[in-house]
Amino acid sequence: MNRESLLRQIGWFAAAVGLALFLTVLVTLPSGAPPLTTIFVLFQGGLGSLSKFGQALSVWVPLTLCSVGLLIPFTARLWNIGVEGQVIMGAIFCTAALRPFDGGGAGQIILALAAAALGGALWALLSGLLRVFGRVHEIFSGLGLNFVALGVILWLIFGPWKRPGIASMSGTEPLDVSLWLAKVGSLSVTWAGLGLALAAIVLAAVLLHRTGWGLKLRAVGENPKAATLFALGPRRRLLQAFLLCGAMAGLAGATQVLAVYHRLLPSISSSYGYTGLLVGMMASYRLGLAPFICLFFAVLNVGSIQLPLQLGLDSSLSGVIQGVMVLSVFIVQGVRLWLAKRGEAA
Amino acid sequence: MIVLSDIHKQYGRVRANDGISLTLEPGRIYALVGENGAGKSTLMRVLAGHTRPTSGSIEVNGERLSHLTPALARRHGVGMLYQDPLDFPAMPVWENFQLGAPRRTKRQVVDILGELSFRLDACFLPDEPVSSLTVGERQLLELLRLLDLGATTLILDEPTTGITPEQKQDLFNLLMTLAREENHTVVLVTHKLSEALEMADAIFVMRQGRLVCTLTPPYDEHELVSRMFGEAARGEVAPMPEVDETAAPRLDMRDVLFAGPKYSMGPLNFTARPGECIGLAGLDGSGQELFLRGLCGLDRMPGGKLVLNGREYGSNDFKILRRAGVQFVPADRLQLALFPALNLMEHITLAFPDRKEDRQKFYDEQCVERFNLRAHPDTHASELSGGNQQRLLLSLIPDDAALLLMEHPTRGLDAGSSRQVWNHLKERCANGATLIYFSPDLEEVLEHSHRVAVFYDRGLAAVVDRERATMETVGALMAGKPAAEVFGNRAKAAAEGGAR
Repeated sequence: MNRESLLRQIGWFAAAVGLALFLTVLVTLPSGAPPLTTIFVLFQGGLGSLSKFGQALSVWVPLTLCSVGLLIPFTARLWNIGVEGQVIMGAIFCTAALRPFDGGGAGQIILALAAAALGGALWALLSGLLRVFGRVHEIFSGLGLNFVALGVILWLIFGPWKRPGIASMSGTEPLDVSLWLAKVGSLSVTWAGLGLALAAIVLAAVLLHRTGWGLKLRAVGENPKAATLFALGPRRRLLQAFLLCGAMAGLAGATQVLAVYHRLLPSISSSYGYTGLLVGMMASYRLGLAPFICLFFAVLNVGSIQLPLQLGLDSSLSGVIQGVMVLSVFIVQGVRLWLAKRGEAA
Repeated sequence: MIVLSDIHKQYGRVRANDGISLTLEPGRIYALVGENGAGKSTLMRVLAGHTRPTSGSIEVNGERLSHLTPALARRHGVGMLYQDPLDFPAMPVWENFQLGAPRRTKRQVVDILGELSFRLDACFLPDEPVSSLTVGERQLLELLRLLDLGATTLILDEPTTGITPEQKQDLFNLLMTLAREENHTVVLVTHKLSEALEMADAIFVMRQGRLVCTLTPPYDEHELVSRMFGEAARGEVAPMPEVDETAAPRLDMRDVLFAGPKYSMGPLNFTARPGECIGLAGLDGSGQELFLRGLCGLDRMPGGKLVLNGREYGSNDFKILRRAGVQFVPADRLQLALFPALNLMEHITLAFPDRKEDRQKFYDEQCVERFNLRAHPDTHASELSGGNQQRLLLSLIPDDAALLLMEHPTRGLDAGSSRQVWNHLKERCANGATLIYFSPDLEEVLEHSHRVAVFYDRGLAAVVDRERATMETVGALMAGKPAAEVFGNRAKAAAEGGAR
């Protein structure tokens, strides 16, 4: 990319951020909040201290796993909206793998991670099979399976896996401390989590841009009919893409269980799957951008906890800002295309 | 009277129309000829108000305008008939006819349709869905609709593609009536010279976006050809390759049934020898598409056996047949055969995974030298011209492919590229490959086939040798005349002629 077009890209991105801030201010005004203070508190809450940055990173890990995973099926033009359910299934499988153990070490943790990846991958495979053999669009099957996964986790927490005597939204019996992932110093982010997220980024980059597999996957997404003529095995490849994404989403679920909550909660996924979709859209599905946007969203997420404390606002405002960000990017892209088209016609 | 003056139309760097001025007078039939991509369609779209010219002016009935809109064009009586009729197949005839017209009751519409049909010697059932009409009838309906809307200038874009020779004659007679008796202006856009020579009072020749010349009768066909194609007109057409009559058949179909998404056909019995070029003729949807797609394994084969190079196949699995040397090239290259956003190198990597290491060399040898594909290897497939797309596809077919199945091999190609494609295909046949292809252009089928297989009503109607395959015989078979009748009469006529 040459310098000028890079500058222009940054300019357009700045325009999108500006629009997003403007729209956010519009949203906050009716609630009586001072707009600039609100935004300041948000970022202060996410970046104000090292420990807050650590919290942001611990959000960044599952979010990055989800959004990087999503890029793989998207390369084949698949919208794996079922990623949310795959996170939940990962968490469930992770918990299930650890139930026989009262304590343990690296061996049990690796087993749990493997189980989580398997759980997510199997749940994604369901979407994939429905898509490839049943001609059910993955958006519909994914959305449906998300609800099923939510039903399963609620049933487990209030049924077979409930704490002795109490069944509540507060989840299952906490894990033994020996099964928690090791933290980075005093920060809340874990070494294993960071390692998994970075490994996922590298794996996706190599797979998609350096191997024949990635090229074939792109070809399948580009034109499935031509892929059949080239004997590229489009069905197999689509299923593989689902499996990989599901495995990464499952690992995201595992980090939620092993590193953040240390038990299974109904809201274990923290909606990171859906947020991951937003990240993907905002990054226009470019791998290079996704981790940074994940960080930005993670900071917003952590910072929003300060809103009720300091300003008496609802913490869901950060969700509003994230949504507004994505919409702004789309609006700016649309304006850009429109201008380009008009420039061509004139 | 319509006067176009100095019309320019630019698409990015491409000059589709480059300073075109011409005058259309009422009561005359004009032909606009030129190769594909010469700018004919753009010019006509400007005239019909679908495209806004970059500069230039249009004078209609004394009114000077910088551009037309579809509504303005209609008000000035300009109507365009597109190559693929722009109608709504699920809707009945009368509703299609009513589209765009002022509010009328069904009864009024039916009356007007009947009156117009009577005047122009056509026949329509108002309640029949348009999907059950032939392409020729749909064209005619569209023509009636335009006339009903008050069109006095009729533009017909390649109207004879996909209709039988008989339907073509009817259409031409109708156009002649409209021009001579009702003082309409008719513009016939075509790349078939014979039609222009037969019909036109004046021929506009376009080349590379410019109006090269306007010819008036008497026409010199040789001059027309050289004006139209320039240098490209000169060039050798390879002769038909010899077929070894004694060789074992390459392909033997035994009671084969094919089932596509819309219809099924069979049982088919057909054989083809190595080196043979077999053209499939038939109107759209007569079965030739399913024949090719079934043969390569893209559509199902519920029954029968395929024998390929002596090996028997009870099912037509695409991958197995591909490994046995069956290659399929669809007509819609960008939609079905190429990856629009992948570049040339990536296509080569996908087609020949084992040549990944020396793909640059492969590209230089195969694409550039052998196929004259002049494009940077980083070019996306979607940016290639139709000719280069076909060159790329042909260069991706392995040399040892035994059975080539092609849909309209020269679709969208100019004369020079078409000749190059045919010479290449004949070279492959001379080296022992078998080619089975279809083309909606009957002349092309007759020119490049050892045998012509004619399809009618979703079945194989007849297989005709090169000697007996003429415009009349194949045209009659395509229209559904039984083979016995077509050849029986001719045999009888020949016998009578001999007796005299």
